[in-house]
Amino acid sequence: MAASLRVTLLRLLIPPVALILAVGSVGAYYLSIDPAADAYDQSLVNTAIALSERIKLQEGQLVFDLPSAAEAVVRTDKYDKVYFVVRDSRGQVIAGDQDIPQPPPGLRADDGVIAYDAQARDRRLRAVALLAPCGAGTCTVTVAETTIKRDRLARDILIGSVLPQGMLAVLTLALVWFGVTRGLAPLARLSGEIRQRSPRDLRAIDESGAPAEAQPLLSALNKLFGQVDESNRNQQRFLANAAHQLRTPLAGLQAHTELAMAQPVPEACRAELEYVHSATIRTARLANQLLALARAEPGGNRPADFALVDLRQLVEEIADEWVHRSMDKDVDLGFDLKPASVPGDAFLLREVLANLIGNSLEYTPSAGHVTVKTGQSPEGAFLEVEDDGPGIPAAERDRVLERFYRMPGTSGTGSGLGLAIVREIALAHGARVEMGEGHAGHGCSVRLIFSSHAPISSKSA
Amino acid sequence: MRILIVEDDISLASGISRILEAEGYAVDLMKTGEHAAMAARQESFDLVILDIGLPGIDGFEVLRRLRSEGRGMPVLLLTARDGVDDRVRGLDMGADDYMAKPFAMPELAARVRALIRRGQAQSGPRIVHGPLVLDTSARRATLKGEPLELAAREWAVLEVLLARVEKIVSKEAIIQAMSNWGEELSLNAIEVYVSRLRGKLEPAGVRIRTVRGFGYMLEEFKEG
Repeated sequence: MAASLRVTLLRLLIPPVALILAVGSVGAYYLSIDPAADAYDQSLVNTAIALSERIKLQEGQLVFDLPSAAEAVVRTDKYDKVYFVVRDSRGQVIAGDQDIPQPPPGLRADDGVIAYDAQARDRRLRAVALLAPCGAGTCTVTVAETTIKRDRLARDILIGSVLPQGMLAVLTLALVWFGVTRGLAPLARLSGEIRQRSPRDLRAIDESGAPAEAQPLLSALNKLFGQVDESNRNQQRFLANAAHQLRTPLAGLQAHTELAMAQPVPEACRAELEYVHSATIRTARLANQLLALARAEPGGNRPADFALVDLRQLVEEIADEWVHRSMDKDVDLGFDLKPASVPGDAFLLREVLANLIGNSLEYTPSAGHVTVKTGQSPEGAFLEVEDDGPGIPAAERDRVLERFYRMPGTSGTGSGLGLAIVREIALAHGARVEMGEGHAGHGCSVRLIFSSHAPISSKSA
Repeated sequence: MRILIVEDDISLASGISRILEAEGYAVDLMKTGEHAAMAARQESFDLVILDIGLPGIDGFEVLRRLRSEGRGMPVLLLTARDGVDDRVRGLDMGADDYMAKPFAMPELAARVRALIRRGQAQSGPRIVHGPLVLDTSARRATLKGEPLELAAREWAVLEVLLARVEKIVSKEAIIQAMSNWGEELSLNAIEVYVSRLRGKLEPAGVRIRTVRGFGYMLEEFKEG
């Protein structure tokens, strides 16, 4: 499977977002730190200008006259230590802190001011040197201060610009994540809907609620559904045809073998005839069963084809035929019919009855009893066939529902398909198959319970 | 007794006709619906065995033509299809019985006997079932030639069963049939009348079988 949309989108988004974050932070840092640093420098320049005015020429000597109260004001700052030094044109210190270094050579004065970074007394300093005319020469008034304020400013700017940007980036990625989830929600809903669908349900999916991006996918799906549905219908037509084509010659074969057996034929010949006859009957039965199995399988029948079937009436319709068969086997076939109606396919439900009653008649010895029941249980309508024959051991009950499985030591002419068909048809009707013993504690009972909450009634859409 | 078989499959048609001939019926074979409809118009048959899936006009159409021309002979439909619709449609259109292919020949023969008997019962006032004879116009019954006393309700129940020999009849159907008499009977009452009928008929070999939880069936009469 390809990487999820979410991961792909994030993979695409993270590098540019990180780049924007970096460039933005750096840009914002420098954009805001320069004017701030300039302002601090300017305040040093102002101090230097103020100091430069205190240089006086007295009797040919340069004098720096600063009252100590004024010096205290100059040196006072909330965060930093402030230093100053006044030098004459030859570099001789006239006043102030002599260890404040001169501007590095090569720096050009801008408007008579040189701003520079310096190092003194083991501290980083920011200094401005003001070139001020004094007497015949030019004095240098240097004002320097430690960088606590500036460092703090830099840190504040950094936090102030990078933090919001970083948060913005994280928020963007989170929004993408949730946006994709939200944007894909209709798809998730759609896939949930498709997952919950009965495999028999080939109706087109409603495209109206789906996002525009999913429409092509839906249209393709619906087209596929349509094609599968059509091919199912073709298969149905083929099966109906095949059954028709097969049954008539089988009926002829059966007629002629029965005719032949009614003739005076040699004993050796009779055994062969009986074999042909029983094979014919088995083949006919098998053809019916395969047809039923194919029809009961997903796609063989659609919920829309289901109509309300009166189970009691269904049993009454087939009762006559089965009573005659039970008479041939000398088994007492009885009924216990209470009203029960289910949405379903009458043909398939009749096939269930044929298989269950057929099985019971097959395995119940003569003078035994078989009872067909319909009615309402607390869980829903039910259809049951019960006998007092040999029964099915509890351990075998699941396996006998499998195709072509026959219990060890089973005699009779069964194909092993009967109960598998019952299970398929029950499945198609959302019914549960319950196997147990007969009411007297022996024999076998098979009950189909049609849950009233069966998904097949989902034709409201 | 003359039977018309309408079936396009030669093997099956010949099988059926030989079995019915062996039972002593005169049999005519037709392969198409057109021929069958024409033959039924010109000749008189006691029973028509009619395949639904015929080339040309199908069995339903033949049946429709027969009934629209007022032909009331019993019709037994044969079909290779499995749809319940065929069965319901056929019976609605006036068919008397219905068999799905393939079927066992003894069953076909039994149904043919029952249908012919019913056809005769409807055509005349006398209903004959082995040693039992009901003269419906005179309301007199005899068993082995001896007069048989039947109460009015016993007669009614017996008539319902006789109309459907070898077919199971639900108690509800019997009650329904008797409600024409303007009486509402309980299920228990039906059991009482059947029990009395058994007492009168069984010594002569006329048997009414109980179908547990369903109803009854008047068995075909067999000698001995």
